[in-house]
Order: sequence, then C-alpha cells, then structure tokens
Amino acid sequence: MAKVRIHLTVNGKDCELEVESYETLLAVLRDRLELTGTKKGCGKGECGACTVKVDGKAVLSCLTLAAQVDGKAILTIEGLQEEAGLHPLQEAFVKHAAVQCGYCTPGLIMAATALLDHRPDPSEEEVRKAISNNLCRCTGYDKPVKAILEASSVLREKEHGR
Amino acid sequence: MNNLFRPREFVRVKDMEEATQLLSKFGGRARVIAGGTDLLVSQPSHVECLVDLSKLNLSYIREEGDAIKIGAATRLASVEDSPLLNSNPYRVVIEAVSQLATPTIRNMATVGGNLCNASPAADLAPALMVLDAKMTVVGAKGKRQLPIGDFFQDVKKTVLGEDDFLVEVLIPRTSTETGAAFQKLRHHQTSIDIAIVNAAARLTFSDKTCSEARVALGAVAKTPIYAKKAEEVLVGKGIDQGLREKAASVAAEESRPIDDIRASVAYRKKMVGVLVRRALEESARRCGVWPK
Repeated sequence: MAKVRIHLTVNGKDCELEVESYETLLAVLRDRLELTGTKKGCGKGECGACTVKVDGKAVLSCLTLAAQVDGKAILTIEGLQEEAGLHPLQEAFVKHAAVQCGYCTPGLIMAATALLDHRPDPSEEEVRKAISNNLCRCTGYDKPVKAILEASSVLREKEHGR
Repeated sequence: MNNLFRPREFVRVKDMEEATQLLSKFGGRARVIAGGTDLLVSQPSHVECLVDLSKLNLSYIREEGDAIKIGAATRLASVEDSPLLNSNPYRVVIEAVSQLATPTIRNMATVGGNLCNASPAADLAPALMVLDAKMTVVGAKGKRQLPIGDFFQDVKKTVLGEDDFLVEVLIPRTSTETGAAFQKLRHHQTSIDIAIVNAAARLTFSDKTCSEARVALGAVAKTPIYAKKAEEVLVGKGIDQGLREKAASVAAEESRPIDDIRASVAYRKKMVGVLVRRALEESARRCGVWPK
C-alpha cells in the first residue's frame, strides 16, 4: 500500500508522518502521536468526542483522513493550555461540575474554544448550537453551557486587560 | 469502523485532467473526496483510490454575469456565512444549509458532497431546485451543464459516470419580486438527524399575481422531486390562504414516500402538506406580498 507523506503542525509542534490513505486524523493523533485526550466515541460523526481544531475550526477527527489535513495546524485538548495552570475553559468546567465521566469533555471544550475564537461574547443559544454535535450522557448539558459562558467572560476580561 | 474501507492511494490532484485520468484509470474504484463527511460514514469497500480535490480551486461563491456560482468543494459553513447569498431569494440556500447536519460537520462538508451523495433527503436539493440551479460536471469527455432537476436518478444515484465529478453549481439571477423558503422536519433527538420531510418553494409575482411558482420536495420519493401539479395550481393567481392550502394538499398527493425507521407514509404525506403550506406562506412574505 502506498503510504502518504504528510506534514502537520500539532499543538505547535511540526510533525512529519507517513500514514495510510485510509487512516483518520483521530487514529493518527491517538495511535501515532499518543495524544489520547481526543476520544473515539462513535466513529461516525454523531457524538463529537473526537472534536479537534483544524486551522482554527472545530472538526470531527473521526470523519477526517489525516491525508486531508496535510499542511494544516491541529489543536487538541493537550494543546489548549498556553500558560501554567488550566485554560479558563478547563477551570470553568471544573468549577461548574461540568465534568462527570469526562469522556465528552475534551471534544466539548474544543468545540467551545472554536466558538469563542470567533464569537467571544456568545448567547446561550449560540453556545448550544456550537456544541450541538457533542453528546453528553452525564451532565444534561446545563453545566457545560454555564461553564462555557463563564469562560467566555473570563477570556474577554483577559483580552481587555492586555 | 468498517474493515473493508482500505483505499491504496490518496492523490491530491493538481488539475481537472489528472482527476479525470485517475477516475478513468480506476474504473469506478476511485472516488473523489472533498470534505469526506459522507464518504467516511459510508466507507464503501471497493474504493482503491481517493482523488482529493483541494488543489482544484473549487471553493468559491461569486457573482459572474447573470448568475451566482458556487464551487462544488465550497464548505457548507462558507455558504452559511455568505453575504452574496444573503438576499432574496438566494437566502433559501442559507436556510437549508443552516439546518443541515451540525456546525462542526459543516466546517468540512461541501455543497458537492451533499448533492452527489444523492440522499433523497439531501437538504440542499429542494432549495437549489426551486432556484433552477444548473450543475456543471467535468469528465473524461469534457465539461457539460445540466439542470439540477435532471441530476438525480435514484436513491444515492446521480447522472455522474465513473469518470465524472461535479465542479460547480450555478444559480441564475431572478427578477426582484421573488421570494423562496425552505422547511425541514426532523427529530431533534440528535441534532444531525436527516429530514423526515423537507420542502422548498419559490414564488415570483408581477402585479400581485403569481407569474412563476416552484415547489420541491425531499425525502418523499427516490430522489428530490418537483411538485409540478402543485406549481400549476399557483401560477396566474393571487396567492391567498385557500390557494396555498390547495397547492400544499396537491403537493402531498404528488409525493411518493415510503415507511421507514423515521416515519410512515401517512405521516410523511401529511407533513408535506404542512411544510409546503409554510414554505409558500414564507415565500410570499419574502417578496413583500403579505399573505392574506
């Protein structure tokens, strides 16, 4: 089988890889790069546990071939923190008890960060719409939504403080 | 995951010729890939080569002459945010796209993908059908253009041959007194549920009389269809409530749904009547003809 050579930037680091044509971005992240924060829930695009950012946009990594994102910048949950200590989204999720089993959490947070990048002051409806591809069986969504709204306010304050 | 999806090759083609050559070479065992969000769900087992279209500059929404042209590899998210489409009657396309799958999927999924996957329930189809869209296809024998009404042949089957692929969707400019609307009925258990029924309508008025009507239905036949008899009911008249209801009920009669996991024949037929009535009401409102 002809392998495909690709170059990805993952969480700021350059990666040169040889992947199969049919290998998903999810498989490459978890199995080749050992970034197991991104989860496989359904493998067919319905649960969102595999959500990552590709060039700033929320994308389902189980429905994306690694070869498709050659040359692009990937951000996973492991890459979200920029400073020591948790990212405001992670802080807010913990504070609001928005994490129970934790399986949906990385995907939910990546969908949220993609939203806040271009909508720093979202309404509740906009938040719910942005996470509509992220299923959670534990929390009932209420606390994750509150956490995302609070994080958006923390991030806006940080922005103004600069 | 389906173990049988094991393409040997992934080629990011540099031009249309390379694409059609590969498609011809593999004789039906090559597939084009743009967003991949349908392909990676269906994971067909006979695929040997994936032809990636991302270098072909097929991602655009632009005005050219008497038309708005949309590249087949345009992401649905771009359609949703397009200022060019955000006016009457083209807004019906944004309306359809915003109810298609989820925002996350729309960051990768493409216009061409939704149409060429050819689910009878494809949300883009009725919206583009009422706008009389034209499809540009490229193949080994060259380029051709055909009306969207002729594009769909059967469930998951289009007129595309083994070495063909869709490159562009063209929406002709219409007169100003025209309004179009889209309606979708879906379960909201998971937000990506496909349409139980979807429908679109477009009405054009001159002097408070309907001069042109289009009604298109999805998920109620083997392909998306025009409800031609319903259209005939509307043309040449002033559109009051009674007429809208009559047209909606004629559209319901024309539909040919099946019983399936999502709904029954009877329910679908009834819902065609409801969705068409709503789409007609909204279309009339959008061209400033306040529905009586």
